[in-house]
Amino acid sequence: MIWLISITIGILVATGVYLVIQRRVIQVILGFSLLSHAANLMIIASGWVGDGYSPILRSIENPDPAAYVDPLPQAMVLTAIVISFAVTAFLLVLALDVYRKFKTDDLDEIRRLKG
Amino acid sequence: MSALLPVPVMLPLLAGVVLFLMRRSQEWQERISLAALAVNLGVALAIISATAGGEMFFHRMGMWPFPYGIILAADRLTGTMLVLSSTIIGACVVFALGYLKTAQRKEVFHPLIHFQLMGIQGAFLTGDLFNLFVFFEVMLISTYALLSVYYNLDQLEVAFKYTCLNVIASVMFLVGISFLYAQVGTVNMADLSVKIHELGPRPLMVVTALVFLFVFCMKAALFPMHLWLPSAHSISPTHIGAILAGVLVKVGIYAIIRCATLIFPGPFEKLQPVLMGIALATIAWGALGTLPQNSLKRILAYSTINQLGYIAFAISLLSALGMAAAVFYIVSHAFLKSSMLLGAGLNQKLTGTVLLDEMGGLMKRAPFASVLLLVGFLSLAGIPPLNGFFAKFFLLKAGFTQGFYAATGLALLLGVVSLYYNFTTYQRIAWGVGGGEVGTASPVMYSSVSFLASFAVIFGLGVAWLYEWAQLVAGQITQPDLYVSAMRSAF
Repeated sequence: MIWLISITIGILVATGVYLVIQRRVIQVILGFSLLSHAANLMIIASGWVGDGYSPILRSIENPDPAAYVDPLPQAMVLTAIVISFAVTAFLLVLALDVYRKFKTDDLDEIRRLKG
Repeated sequence: MSALLPVPVMLPLLAGVVLFLMRRSQEWQERISLAALAVNLGVALAIISATAGGEMFFHRMGMWPFPYGIILAADRLTGTMLVLSSTIIGACVVFALGYLKTAQRKEVFHPLIHFQLMGIQGAFLTGDLFNLFVFFEVMLISTYALLSVYYNLDQLEVAFKYTCLNVIASVMFLVGISFLYAQVGTVNMADLSVKIHELGPRPLMVVTALVFLFVFCMKAALFPMHLWLPSAHSISPTHIGAILAGVLVKVGIYAIIRCATLIFPGPFEKLQPVLMGIALATIAWGALGTLPQNSLKRILAYSTINQLGYIAFAISLLSALGMAAAVFYIVSHAFLKSSMLLGAGLNQKLTGTVLLDEMGGLMKRAPFASVLLLVGFLSLAGIPPLNGFFAKFFLLKAGFTQGFYAATGLALLLGVVSLYYNFTTYQRIAWGVGGGEVGTASPVMYSSVSFLASFAVIFGLGVAWLYEWAQLVAGQITQPDLYVSAMRSAF
């Protein structure tokens, strides 16, 4: 299964980088969003234990911590997702402002209009 | 004492929320904001005086057992940084009181400053690497908002650029954490220090350390990632530029110090040439970048890059002597550069321009503001009775003592360039031709600039005292065992 996650991370990073170097503001923002998803998946992968159960105890009497995946990276990823959500929202507001002022979201065009 | 540690995080958070709710009344906002900042400074002073004897304090959030929960930690370095940040941000807010009378959308300034302060102080206090990421984001998101809130086109562009670069840095921070967690399975700084040491030298750990170095270089505006700084400093409103130069970049520097001394001392020895190269390139870029500029704020911004290079050079020596020089440099530069940026803002208010060609003749037109700038420029150039001289002196002494003759010699040589640009800039401001009416600035602006500028003289005359403190700080942080055993014995 870890190879599937690795390939997914690779695709997310490749798509993210491709979008970040595009000319339109909205594509750049979507690219950042994909890049942070890739980073989040990497953290999930760092706490990966083969075929471990999700970290909800199945029996109180016999906890056996080795059978579960590490819950700490998942808690960290939740925090990271919220943060990247907030930053994306902020970037979208900035993009909206840029669009209202220039009537375009093309970065080259904006540079030309600014003169 | 340990119970006091959450206050520098909780108080600004609370103050920020209250100030946001009170946004209808500017008068009450100012009162509450200043009161909160005063209490905050008091708490920072209490923390620094408690840590002065060499004791460390820890506070567990949520009472989780040792390496799992979030731990707040305070040692001498934390205490120093807390006092530095609360003093400078306090002075910048006082300066802003004069500025904000005419600004638009001023009602969100005070809440955002307090959220930013929460992020900054949290970053200094936390003993947990992931928590450091969270506080970095708190600090950055409020900075993005502060940069863009005044809404002219240049500021919008700067805010967008700054946000994009820092989003990349944040993604890399997460990547670094995942590398680290996959190898050692912990994010607690003391626990990381022990486990990385036990693991011994391995290439992947050096790569991990390099990822973190990249991230913190972005925050600290060191060489390949310094390009955002000049426009962010010169286009943003003065008091926010002063906070950026005085405090925010120091958070990045602080994180590099923690990495180099506590978390990755082993891998950083391998990275020493990289860090030293980055430092020298930053010094050179900053020094040469000032030469073609015509705007006072841009010159100060490039000079910040230049000075940050010197601080990074001191850190790259990776010794107690180097760290002492770095701490001395951080403290003196933070006060100096924020006073100079506020001084530039004061002059902008008086003359209506930051362009050197139009500012000329300030010595006749506004002698007091001109003298305040003179103190800063003399100190930046490294003229003896002021602190800038001693900062460079300790740095060069540490470099030569450790046998880095070529690198330290190069740093010294580039210091001559900074001597040149500081003098010519001041000459153009104070004595150059120019004229026109001088406006008025409110007394609070003068007082906060004089307050910060006076530290250039205080640290210059009290050099022995500050250097002794810097040595105490350096002695403590270069022995990571102290930190680890103190944290272990605390719980």
